[in-house]
Amino acid sequence: MNPAKNHCFDIKWVLMLAVVAFLLVFQVFPLLYMVFRMFFASGHFSMDAVKRIYSYALNRTCLKNTLVASGLTMVFGVLIAFPLAFLIGRTNLYGKTLFRTLFVTTYMVPPYVGAMAWLRLLNPTVGTLNVFLKNLFGLSGAPFSIYSIGGLVWVLTTFYYPYAFITISRAMEKMDPSLEEAARISGASPLKTLITVTLPLMLPSIAASALLVFVAAASCYGIPSIIGVPGRIYTVTTRIVDYVYVGSQEGLTDATALAVFLMVMALILMLLSDFIVGKKDYITISGKSVRPALVDLGKWRVPLTVLVAVFALIVAVLPFVTVFATSFTVNMGKSVFVPGNFTMKYWGILTSRKSIGKSMRNSVLSAVWAASMGMIVCLLMSYLLKRTKVKGRQIPNFLITLGSGTPSVAIALALIMTMSGRFGINIYNTMLIMVIAYMIKYMMMGMQTVSAAFAQVSPSMEEAAQISGAGWLRRIRDVVLPLIVPSIVAGWFLIFMPCFYELTMSNLLYADQTKTLGVELYNYQTYHSQQTASALAGGILIMVVLCNTLIYKLTKGRVSI
Amino acid sequence: MNIRMMTAAAAAAVLMTGAGAAAVSAEAVNPEDVTGKIVIYTSMYEDIIDEMQTELEDVFPNLDVEFFQGGSGTLQSKIAAEMDAGKLGCDVLMVAEPSYSLELKDAGVLHPYDYAEKDKLVFDYDPEGYWYPVRVCNMVLAYNPELTDKSEIPVTMKDFASDTAMKGALSMSNPLTSGTAYSSIVGLLDLYGEDYFKDLGAQNVAIESGSVALTKLETGECKEIMVLEESVLKKREEEGSALEVIYPEDGSIPVPSTFMIVDDSYSANANSKAAEALEDYFLSPDGQKLIIKGWMYGVRSDVEEYPYDGRPLSEILANAIPVDWEKCYKEREDIRRMFQEYVTVPEA
Repeated sequence: MNPAKNHCFDIKWVLMLAVVAFLLVFQVFPLLYMVFRMFFASGHFSMDAVKRIYSYALNRTCLKNTLVASGLTMVFGVLIAFPLAFLIGRTNLYGKTLFRTLFVTTYMVPPYVGAMAWLRLLNPTVGTLNVFLKNLFGLSGAPFSIYSIGGLVWVLTTFYYPYAFITISRAMEKMDPSLEEAARISGASPLKTLITVTLPLMLPSIAASALLVFVAAASCYGIPSIIGVPGRIYTVTTRIVDYVYVGSQEGLTDATALAVFLMVMALILMLLSDFIVGKKDYITISGKSVRPALVDLGKWRVPLTVLVAVFALIVAVLPFVTVFATSFTVNMGKSVFVPGNFTMKYWGILTSRKSIGKSMRNSVLSAVWAASMGMIVCLLMSYLLKRTKVKGRQIPNFLITLGSGTPSVAIALALIMTMSGRFGINIYNTMLIMVIAYMIKYMMMGMQTVSAAFAQVSPSMEEAAQISGAGWLRRIRDVVLPLIVPSIVAGWFLIFMPCFYELTMSNLLYADQTKTLGVELYNYQTYHSQQTASALAGGILIMVVLCNTLIYKLTKGRVSI
Repeated sequence: MNIRMMTAAAAAAVLMTGAGAAAVSAEAVNPEDVTGKIVIYTSMYEDIIDEMQTELEDVFPNLDVEFFQGGSGTLQSKIAAEMDAGKLGCDVLMVAEPSYSLELKDAGVLHPYDYAEKDKLVFDYDPEGYWYPVRVCNMVLAYNPELTDKSEIPVTMKDFASDTAMKGALSMSNPLTSGTAYSSIVGLLDLYGEDYFKDLGAQNVAIESGSVALTKLETGECKEIMVLEESVLKKREEEGSALEVIYPEDGSIPVPSTFMIVDDSYSANANSKAAEALEDYFLSPDGQKLIIKGWMYGVRSDVEEYPYDGRPLSEILANAIPVDWEKCYKEREDIRRMFQEYVTVPEA
């Protein structure tokens, strides 16, 4: 080995060790402490908490509900996302940019605000959409009830399929088209090419996105609490919060015991997806062709566009319109168009409260930090996972998945217990503790995106650079990064967005100086009025769309989400 | 190391002054001499806090008061985690009902204080001075006169659960996450027995936050809800809402919320002297008026004011369902379990 090689070897490992150390201290330790606490609550080892929690029939119902709801959400999410990603990314569908923006925008609506919108649209007694359909078809009863497992799955799906859509789209656009071309030349129809070539090539991304959707749905609290609880459909997360809010030490222990279930679920699913994808090495980007050819939809172009438009209307436009309409309505019992029932005062509240400006700044700041630090971790750990042969290289990926699978409330409590001075680190009541909580919870989004990108970039190009004498840092900068920049941007944004309006953890971790928009939104939603909360959500939405448009224009369409 | 030393010093200070402090009324303290910082955890509305903050700046010009607002469930879990870590992030708690105070007193994190005018208080307080009631949230029924005729709906807590014509059109807060809701169901359990829970379950009552329930009342999704009076009164005064309170004929459930001072060895700023002065202020007629302005009821017999569109405190007390705080505290697990089995998750 030459000395130069040894040198770059070092930098690589120093950086990676730093990241691993970070994960150990700020994630593994707090979560382990939680688990430890569960077994040693009474001072000595005991399985009582576990037995108490899992022998309780009600809890088992909750486990079942969570499995069913998030399992179905995962299936539907991927079933919706894959064709959409294909149609928008790889065909000559009309209005692709608009559709993409709409679908991605769903990701930017805080789920609990969206859940409120769906509740108003689809409640069985006076739901707007239900009443409309009832009158349209002359039905005797409401066609849908949001307070059902079906309703829960519907809302979860409309909010979490974008995770899959974004992940699959990225991979699809970066795919090597020569394989598809070969199939076409050999006489396969576009459909057959899709099924026999594109789909199998997309398998790693599909598995990754399915995992993302499942974990997000299973550990989501906002939607089940608003849609599920009134309909008596309790999930693991709503049960955990029930236990936590007892406010006693025993309550904390019981909550942990239940939270462990979600962590284990996330792990099993991850192993499963690894197993499915297996050792197959799908390298789809090599140093050759770049632009995948667009598939001509032919006579299907118009009907498919209409179909996608209807879907977009229902899933994206309708809830947004509901949120905005709510923000202008005085009396929610009447239409916003009834004279005297239209008001700007809820938007006025937004501008008149000085704390909102400060919270906005805190939210942007903490989300930027979480996304940036998170992406550094994801990049290094993806490299470790996909480009090295180190023993245990899957472990960081494991940890990151585990973090995402852990319910937010458990992460927040674990951090409070371990990071407020008792073990030598005191970051309680600082922004850092929130940033760390966000990272633990949302890094998986970035990790999945980046490692899928790594998996698709052939190491041959890096090797070529190495042979030409480029060091590790240089190879990363000049070869690897440019190839996966779109994935990095996507990953960054995937982390940034949920952190920006994060609610559950912020609510427990914020201090006077670090209050965030999610906390404001939650307070308005719970203690003030739906209208003010809707105005705030509307404001967030407008801002995010503007940002996205700006980035899109500035980079001339190369970068946007 | 610093923290440990500070805590030790603070604890010593408490030991030295503790005996004398309880006897001395803070009346003697000049408000301008109250200094340092106080962090208050509270579940009061944010708007009220804004106003209180301004008022407190006037009364205690040299004291830095910081409010940390959150739902009672959020705060209680935050406090539980902080207790696990050995230190609280606050000096004063204005959150939750007496049963929680009993628990914190047992846990040894509270500081006792002998309030001079405790004979003026019309609600239970701790004989050793660990907690005093400071504001009252009143659990009532509410409906929407624009959509529903009052003659068609229950006017008692009893019928709320047993009038089967209301099935599927009712909503209440979650006793598993809200202290006031929990206290209320304990009161109802004592009055009507286990059957009350069974009936509630059979009614398919929706369990959700008060603000969601109020919106459902406006849209007509719910016909009647069990809710805190303050949330309806607030809507009436601020939005001119037509939603109306029904004071149940079998009694409303006034749930006092307490003022607790955290012991210096656990508190954020070890400033219990200032906390005592604050307690005096909040329990004084002036402090009580701030509370009443925030649509809650006061706790003093000598304050005539009552919340906007509410009723005089004496009338509320004349027809109130009592709550056994000791029972709330001691039998919490069993009662919660019973409620969730009958009401929240019926099958399984």
